[in-house]
Amino acid sequence: MFPRKPTSLIVAALCFCILFTSSGPVALAQKKTAPVEATPPPLREEFKFGEVDLEVLEQSDLLDVRFERDGLVLADESANAFLRRVGQSLIPRDVELERVSWKFRALRDPQPNAFALPNGSIYVTTGLLTLIDNESQLAAIIAHELTHVMRRHTYVHNRSNRKKFLSMNVMSAIGAFAPGGVVGAVITIVTTVAPFIMMATIYGYSRDLEREADLKGIDMMISAEYAPEEMVNVMKLLDKDFEGENIRLFYNDHPSLDERIKYLSSYLGSRADRVTHQMELNRERAAYFRNMESVMRHDIQLAIKAGRARSAVYLAQRLVDFHDDSENLFWLAESYRTLGPRAPQLTDKELTNSAKKDAAKKSVKRTAEEEERDLLATPAGKDNWEKHQKIAEQFYQRAFNAENPVPVAHRGLGMLYEKVGRGTDAAAEYEKYLELSPSAIDRERIQRRIEALKEKLK
Amino acid sequence: MSARSLVLVVLLTVCGSHQVQAQFLHPKIKSNETKIRRVIVLPAKVNVVRDSMKGPEGMAAESDELSLRVEKMVAEVLSKKKNVTTLSTTTATGEGDADQKYNVADFQTKFDDLLPKIMKKRSDVKKGRFSMGDEVLNLNLEKGADAVVFIRGEGKKLSGGKTAFTLLVGGVPAYLRLQIGIVDARSGEVLLYTDPIFPGDPTTAVDRLRKALEKAFKKLPEVKAQ
Repeated sequence: MFPRKPTSLIVAALCFCILFTSSGPVALAQKKTAPVEATPPPLREEFKFGEVDLEVLEQSDLLDVRFERDGLVLADESANAFLRRVGQSLIPRDVELERVSWKFRALRDPQPNAFALPNGSIYVTTGLLTLIDNESQLAAIIAHELTHVMRRHTYVHNRSNRKKFLSMNVMSAIGAFAPGGVVGAVITIVTTVAPFIMMATIYGYSRDLEREADLKGIDMMISAEYAPEEMVNVMKLLDKDFEGENIRLFYNDHPSLDERIKYLSSYLGSRADRVTHQMELNRERAAYFRNMESVMRHDIQLAIKAGRARSAVYLAQRLVDFHDDSENLFWLAESYRTLGPRAPQLTDKELTNSAKKDAAKKSVKRTAEEEERDLLATPAGKDNWEKHQKIAEQFYQRAFNAENPVPVAHRGLGMLYEKVGRGTDAAAEYEKYLELSPSAIDRERIQRRIEALKEKLK
Repeated sequence: MSARSLVLVVLLTVCGSHQVQAQFLHPKIKSNETKIRRVIVLPAKVNVVRDSMKGPEGMAAESDELSLRVEKMVAEVLSKKKNVTTLSTTTATGEGDADQKYNVADFQTKFDDLLPKIMKKRSDVKKGRFSMGDEVLNLNLEKGADAVVFIRGEGKKLSGGKTAFTLLVGGVPAYLRLQIGIVDARSGEVLLYTDPIFPGDPTTAVDRLRKALEKAFKKLPEVKAQ
């Protein structure tokens, strides 16, 4: 689990830094030095499998099957190959782990997250893959997760939990926090198959284990020649909260982000002489976006479906800034259309815990259509709606004018016109869409809309 | 004990071995404006956990088996009691290409999203408040289908130790609770919502399950045999 919030191990971190820096001159000569004996060895050699561990292993294998079967694994071979390449480059050579078979896969989930199963399956959500900037940040995430597997954290955590009888409240915790959407789907599956794994992988390990994964992750990044300071930058990215979600679902009960940045920076400071040149990172960013463009588009689509319009706008804008082709422009237009009467950013007040709790309660009471209707009844909502529809229309137009225009932009514009009451224009756009895309998966849906509009216009 | 668990305990204790179900029908069904003759049953998602003194344990294989049994039983009850035909289709199971698989998965998720809202005020189904939108047509199911059936469920099986503990100290007994939504295959409107619940080991329930389902669909108007 790749955590970002809570509790303090600051004293331990400071002691560690003081001890480390006072133990001799700091190696500043090289940018990426070989790992020193600062953290435990990469493997937990003394680990012996017991019956309880084998049960957890079996549940992990079942989870892999379930994710695949329920359409949660992204079947994008190039994206998965990219993840595999980054993952394999981080695994120390000569490392043979009993009952571990490495798999690196993208999970169709717009919520930024990553987790590892003890059988060696590492999942990174499309939400996280779309949020991060470059390969080094991806390496930071995977290195953290690899450590959980290599140091057998799930088994250790499971044994400890069973002893402590903590599992008693697992189900109520899940019941209380499980959100809707695809995130909910992942949680439901993990809960059914393995409640213990649920607690460890999704909700996070103990602070000590998370800290160990952070620090070992940096060691692995340095060994694989990735920019280790990106581990800190990825933490900052994870703190972005576009949707004002009440739940610190994946990151609760961990060292807080600030503390993690502090101890990671201290650890980095003792191991590297300078940060990686910005130009090098920019090059890496461009390569990363090229590799992940299709995943990013898929994620924006998922975010729109899940009603995460603010995230969708942010991510689609980033994508358009990188490459303003017709398809990316279409997704930005779709994001703005979905944003509708909502404000593009939440205010500080809306980001307070109590406001988030209220919003979460309201979201259960209202459907998305009702929420939109209520917002449209306010002057601010109406203004936002008019503004966003205009922006969306402009981006649809840009999508038409770009090279190789995508036919779906006509469908999007048709939906926008239908909403604003321009029935004739809407029907014309829908017809253009069907003409350009005769075997579209939503042909029947659009045809019905055309018929309904024509009926209305009679 | 959470409020939710408390309600469940009270419900299961009061009802004893009886089944409880609530049914809510869309006005279009009540007025016979829409008739459900042919349905597609999407793969059920019924999850059961084994609650022991050491905490809950996943029962993945049993959950899969129960999901399949519930799915078949729903089709059987709808056919025998209401003359509703269940159309078999591979598109509903998400077989085939990745896009179709995603499509079905995302639609199942959309129902999961809507479910808490329905649960919050189930009686609003009677006002026709809930809809999944015309996106349902993107599923490209059989043309003849009038409705799509979504099935969710959760259950708990108790270990021997936990059963004794529950008898002595109290707590949630073994149970199975289903949440079934029937959605218009064209407009996406929620036409029926019912949530039967019954006590006892869910993994061995066959007759109890059938009876619960028969009661759960009691209000659904029967269509003429074709």
